Amino acid sequence: MNRGIIKYLGLTVVLLLLQFLVLNNINFMGYVNPYIYILAILLLPYRITRWMLLIIGFTLGFAVDYFSNTLGLHTTASLVLAYFRPVILNRWSFKSVQDIRGVPDVSNTSMEWFIVYALIAVLVHHFTLFILEVFTFKHFWLTLVRIILSTAVSTFFIVIIELLLAPNKMTK
Amino acid sequence: MNNLYEILKRLYIHLVFLILLGVSLSLYFNTTYYQKSQVSAVTKSITGFWHKQASKVSNLFQLQRSNVLLLLENVKLRNEIEGYRLKLQMLQDSLMRIDDTSGVFRYIPARVIDNSINSRHNYITLDVGSNDGAYKGMGVICKNNVVGIVSATTKHFASVISLLNTDVRVSAMHKKSGSFGALSWDGMNYRRVVLDEIPLHVNVAVGDSIVTSGFSTIFPKDIPVGRVVDFYIKDGSFLQITVELFADFKTLTYVYLVDSKAKNEIDSLQTMK
Repeated sequence: MNRGIIKYLGLTVVLLLLQFLVLNNINFMGYVNPYIYILAILLLPYRITRWMLLIIGFTLGFAVDYFSNTLGLHTTASLVLAYFRPVILNRWSFKSVQDIRGVPDVSNTSMEWFIVYALIAVLVHHFTLFILEVFTFKHFWLTLVRIILSTAVSTFFIVIIELLLAPNKMTK
Repeated sequence: MNNLYEILKRLYIHLVFLILLGVSLSLYFNTTYYQKSQVSAVTKSITGFWHKQASKVSNLFQLQRSNVLLLLENVKLRNEIEGYRLKLQMLQDSLMRIDDTSGVFRYIPARVIDNSINSRHNYITLDVGSNDGAYKGMGVICKNNVVGIVSATTKHFASVISLLNTDVRVSAMHKKSGSFGALSWDGMNYRRVVLDEIPLHVNVAVGDSIVTSGFSTIFPKDIPVGRVVDFYIKDGSFLQITVELFADFKTLTYVYLVDSKAKNEIDSLQTMK
């Protein structure tokens, strides 16, 4: 149990560093900035209590905000994701072979399931993030394009990282 | 009473969510962009080091281009100096004493170590800080463009609100006519900004130069901004001009901070009433 917590904290720190030092400096086509730190929310155990989930989401978002000039923006987005995570897990769990004691990663589900799970979670997060950042429906289509492109890229990175994390545990 | 307790028990997680949401949204909407960059100024000292290393690598690839541009700039400056030398000679001949109030603006060179153009609220980090004489509210220009305004400084780094930030407004004027308006970014195309509030009677043509007005003490007069690419009548009372920036913010490397000696004097005059 303790080792799990330490491993999780280590992963979170690595994800945040990767986010600030590498990914925040990448601009694909001037529109797309991938956000991978939400993997830390995705990989929390199934049985975590909802209020704990909310507090972790809030704290994680605040940490990201603190380092990137956007006080409150990422806090809100990752809080919303933390709120909806149980909803997402309940709705899309039917295809997975969930071990209710573990964490929702590829090691105890399938590759396809994890991609869908990550995609939906990233979409929820990015939708909140970009709508809040623009805060107008004036250039709605442009915002929508940004959301879709960023979601695709973020999901890609998250799945890659998840595969790197659990290469030998993969069940296929 | 028991009923109420049951309802609370069922709803508490949603209440916790709504309270946290309220906190985070008020964080987002109740803090100004200055305050936000102030918070991160502390962490800039930490991340600044990394960005500096990273930009060393990316600068290497731009060396060739930078060299050519510098060479051209050198030639241009040399020619200008010759011109000024001639003028100075003439002035010295005609003046009995040399006034000492000239040189209202002083420039501090700086290197861009972090830059973004993909957000609505873009920021730039420079490798000069309060130790080098940078302070909050300074204007930042590059060789041929207005770049932004310093929002926060640490000892060795400065955070700049880019012109490509939808909250920044800079006073600019149509060079040919001298009529001025407010320059801002609409958040769409990083090469284009919008000049508002130009009166209808002004004769604007595509290709005309837009420069800073010098009314705000942040920027000197006549710093180039861009050229007119499009204009139309907005609300039937003013012209709205689309301006293409001279500088490509994506490749910004070297900039100058504008230290205005007259700033304090003018500011205090305006607040005096």
